[in-house]
Amino acid sequence: MKGRRANTGSWLPLVVVLFLCGFRGSAQSSGAFDRGLAEFRAGNYPSAAALFTDAEAASPGATDALLYQAKSLVHLQDFAGAERALRSYVLSHRDSADALYMLGFVLHRENRPAESLASYTQAAAITRPTADDLKIVGLDYVLLADYADAIKWLEKAATLDETNQDVWYYLGRAYYSKARFLEARKAFLKILELDPHNVRAENNLGLIFESSGEPAAAIDAYRRAIAWQEQTLRPSEQPYVNLGNLLMEQGQTKEAIEPLEKAVALAPNNAFCRLTLGVYYRKVGQMEGAQRELERATQLEPDNAVAHYQLGRLYKEIHALDRAQAEFDRTAELQTRAAGSQSARPNH
Amino acid sequence: MKRQRAKENQPIRLKRLLCFWFTLVPLLTAQNTATASSAPGSGETFVDATQRLGVNFRYQASHTSRKYLLETMGAGVALFDYDNDGRLDMYLVNGAPLSDPTPKGTVPQKTDSQYWNRLYHQKADGTFEDVTEKASLEGTGYGMGVAVGDYDNDGFEDLYVTAYGGNKLYHNNRNGTFTDVTQKAGVGGGGWSTSAAWVDLDRDGFLDLLVLRYLDWDFDDVWCGEHKQGYRAYCHPDYFKPISPLVFHNNKDGTFTEVAQKIGLGKAGKGLGIAIADYDRDGHIDFFVANDSMVEFLYHNKGDGTFEDFGLASEVAVDTDGRTYAGMGVDFADYNNDGWPDIVVTDLANQRYALYQNNGDGSFSYSSNTAGIGQMTMAHSGWGVRFFDYDNDGWKDLLIAQGHDLDTIELNFPNLHYREPMLLARNTGRGFVDVSAQSGNIFRQGWVSRGMAMGDLDNDGRLDAVVTTNDGKIHVLHNETVTRNHWMLLKLVGHNSNRDAIGAEVKLVTASGPQYATVSTASSYLSASDKRVHFGLGQESTAQRIEIRWPSGIRQTLKDIPADQILQIDEPATSSTSPKP
Repeated sequence: MKGRRANTGSWLPLVVVLFLCGFRGSAQSSGAFDRGLAEFRAGNYPSAAALFTDAEAASPGATDALLYQAKSLVHLQDFAGAERALRSYVLSHRDSADALYMLGFVLHRENRPAESLASYTQAAAITRPTADDLKIVGLDYVLLADYADAIKWLEKAATLDETNQDVWYYLGRAYYSKARFLEARKAFLKILELDPHNVRAENNLGLIFESSGEPAAAIDAYRRAIAWQEQTLRPSEQPYVNLGNLLMEQGQTKEAIEPLEKAVALAPNNAFCRLTLGVYYRKVGQMEGAQRELERATQLEPDNAVAHYQLGRLYKEIHALDRAQAEFDRTAELQTRAAGSQSARPNH
Repeated sequence: MKRQRAKENQPIRLKRLLCFWFTLVPLLTAQNTATASSAPGSGETFVDATQRLGVNFRYQASHTSRKYLLETMGAGVALFDYDNDGRLDMYLVNGAPLSDPTPKGTVPQKTDSQYWNRLYHQKADGTFEDVTEKASLEGTGYGMGVAVGDYDNDGFEDLYVTAYGGNKLYHNNRNGTFTDVTQKAGVGGGGWSTSAAWVDLDRDGFLDLLVLRYLDWDFDDVWCGEHKQGYRAYCHPDYFKPISPLVFHNNKDGTFTEVAQKIGLGKAGKGLGIAIADYDRDGHIDFFVANDSMVEFLYHNKGDGTFEDFGLASEVAVDTDGRTYAGMGVDFADYNNDGWPDIVVTDLANQRYALYQNNGDGSFSYSSNTAGIGQMTMAHSGWGVRFFDYDNDGWKDLLIAQGHDLDTIELNFPNLHYREPMLLARNTGRGFVDVSAQSGNIFRQGWVSRGMAMGDLDNDGRLDAVVTTNDGKIHVLHNETVTRNHWMLLKLVGHNSNRDAIGAEVKLVTASGPQYATVSTASSYLSASDKRVHFGLGQESTAQRIEIRWPSGIRQTLKDIPADQILQIDEPATSSTSPKP
């Protein structure tokens, strides 16, 4: 696929919140546990987690303290701690579908998709999964690069809840990854049916048009996405960088600068935006700007071989040959590391 | 028409012999062979003449359920004149049986004749006869590639055949037979060898041998692709470590010394394709290595017998976005007639074949998109590739052997295909145009193409091609382009330089302008092509000048040479300019 494109679809945003909103918890009473719940509801997750730890220590197994401790730790992005709490909880609550589903989610976030799937399988034997559960199952298969199964489970999730925009989004991304552009397009159009000004969906439609050799339609889509998000509080940099990149590729150099600069303004720490703007500046001969952006891109992502390569080209053009060679050497090192980096799965 | 034109140019005689080593001998005019052009106006630019020419070969890949990567990569073909009768012969590399599973550490061996490599001799009537046994060229092991070169300068082409587990050097005995001299020569190597190239790296007048290797690989039972029935796939090369090439220096006594590390060529790669040219025109031959899914290498000859990789600095190591791609086949020739050799590299679908235009200052510009190659190749996977002027209009076109490496590709990517037609891209002088659809039936047939060699099989001035397919039959593509354009085929014979003149740079000038070429048998994918240099002259019936820079450094200029002939040019003892013939 168009690997050079901005990552418009991180597979993981919002899943924490969505998962926790749908958490099927029950509660019991105890002093520390109740205080923990109060802190949790107030959003004070560190103190909530500490109180749930105390509650569990005071009365082991008497409450769902471990479960809520795990929930607090998920909010704190402490997935290893959440996993420990959940595994302890499951030892004494083997039939807790809630705990097993949550464990599946936590393992997914820990990038352990095979174990996550095992936990989801156990949970599903107890309680039917929701669309959001199946979504995580689908995303586990994405992590395993098994797109056929990812699509299968995301399609089931979409059937289960046709109004779940996240499910349609990830399904669209999965189709896109397999170059199934027609189906991807339908998925994103479904989101637009549910939410007519969904910027993310429109931006992805732009990518599909681009991949299908329809640059004019892609440019229109990116521009629509930009227009829709103009009044929002947190506009995304994605349609800007995609529009700028495509305009640059189409030779519309003058028009490309504004969206590329806007993308960097919106996401100053996004290496891809910096890289794209830097390449633009180099192409139009604005070497100072190019140097600033490309150096920043390599600082933001020190292992980004492409950024180092583009910086090397820039240094070469401004006759900083030693620095150019250093960047090319770094590129070669990173590319060589990448070649041979995958681990094979023996056929047992 | 062209044959008529060729007949008008009767063999010419040298008015005088300039010196012992300088002879200018027109070898042949177009021959009236059985394979002559037959369908003017039919639109069939290339016609599959395999059956008619009596070539019956099938490459045995021995596919297994384990999807060993080796199975999908072969194999190569060579076009060369082993008996010096003026007609190209053909050598085809074959696989070997694989058990399912194959134990780790196995070096497959040919068990019976279906796995033999094959030598086909071209008879006077243009058809071919299988002379494999007579020539003792059955081969061993699971074959991959073939390189052609006269390493002992005896005037007869020798063969180097690469394979998984060890390679073979066959010395041409000058009587239609070959002798396996691998052990004595010390060029057996090991691991998984792919493309090889004969080239005189240190200008000592003897060909050295560059042998690429693909991966640090064994018969491990590794599952790649989705874990369900029918979806198991060949593993991506990222699963395996790169490996250094082998470089054998010719000791001039029939033996070689491995010198890769010593001369700066020991860097590990995932080499599949190799092509040579003096890209900076400093008088020393350089070469390009197409690596699979890692940076490509451009080795610059420093002139002291050592090399340095300038791939990244010259901007040919990655695509325009700075990304690596699955480099497989490669050619290195001047397609825009500006005097600087350009590079084309084939790769997999969704990557676009890489075309690098030489800027003349040691750097290249990625020109796939501006030259039209990007769009026409986006959905294709290419292997064997050659710049060549199929219609003799003076612009080098492209012929590309295609087909995906994954036989499961359509399960996951319905828009991509395991079997693909060949691609013919015509150079208009302003860029390339895909003319496959109007160039004949073969461009509508899906093949799992891999190797490709090019040469003028029937000496009619129109370049033909031979294409191998993985686990399938070969295809001899006879060029039947209807054109009145003129041509020239030059056979260079080195004397101070290596006998094949590999590495010689030829500039041919007509009233329409100059063209450039490098003498080489290597390029494409796993294959070796006709060493004779072909030029299309368009409407020009005379080459005003032919300037040759021999590998020895000797320069030679010929003037006012009539077109439509095959001309042998011998290297003079010193730099010279010939009078009009």
